[in-house]
Amino acid sequence: MVPMENYLVLSGIIFSLGVYGVLARRNAVLVLMSVELMLNAVSLNFVAFSAYLDPDKATGIIFAVFVIAVAAAEVGLALAIVIRLFRNRSTANVDEAATMRW
Amino acid sequence: MTTEVLWWIFAVAIVAVSAGVVFARTVIHSAIFLILSLAGVGAMYLFLTIEFIALVQFLIYGGAVTVLILLALMLTRMGIAGRPEPTTGVQAPFGALVAAGLMATLIGVAVSTAWPGDLGQNAVAVSIENIGEQLFQNFGAPFMIMAALLLVAFIGAIVIARQEDED
Repeated sequence: MVPMENYLVLSGIIFSLGVYGVLARRNAVLVLMSVELMLNAVSLNFVAFSAYLDPDKATGIIFAVFVIAVAAAEVGLALAIVIRLFRNRSTANVDEAATMRW
Repeated sequence: MTTEVLWWIFAVAIVAVSAGVVFARTVIHSAIFLILSLAGVGAMYLFLTIEFIALVQFLIYGGAVTVLILLALMLTRMGIAGRPEPTTGVQAPFGALVAAGLMATLIGVAVSTAWPGDLGQNAVAVSIENIGEQLFQNFGAPFMIMAALLLVAFIGAIVIARQEDED
């Protein structure tokens, strides 16, 4: 069987790729997709811990359910903000959306 | 043995498509890589024998979230298609540095820590009945707060994205 550390290493790699995407990419939708990668890595971590270390209580699985629900709320709201930004500024580039008001 | 080989194939594929999400030059390619990556993580839940989360992953992430992202990509089309544009900002090297450091730390911690109660290196199947009982008995209040949060978030999304009359 696959040891638990494999899942932890995999989710660490996915999380780091997401961090790079959030920090480096210029397109706001790409930044959001990188956030999705990070959230996915986190819930994979939770589920792996739950399945290996605490299968009776299933707490990590419940936590993954909540992570997925919050991610759905987050992506809906953030995409609305991106669409609004695009309508006001004709750009989806996060570097050009630096002013607080205009 | 077969499970392990399949696991490694899936793990390498997930890392490859996740790298594709952040490094692809075209946003549509990134979106397609994201769908593959989410489906791959769903397969990981199947390896962990947590079918419930795998199904939720395929339905919510593979279905709803990717459709939302593709919609936003369509609505925020910039410039002429195929025009070469830098996809990363000036902060990209620092981002790479931070991500590499974080990756080294996470892998080091995951490998070197002696996890408590690691029973025979086997994932234990958690039944859907168990998950449902936990969710509605011990976590009933957070579950209802989550429902309210989703409702508020989507009403807020509609209000923010609404076309105003004076535009």
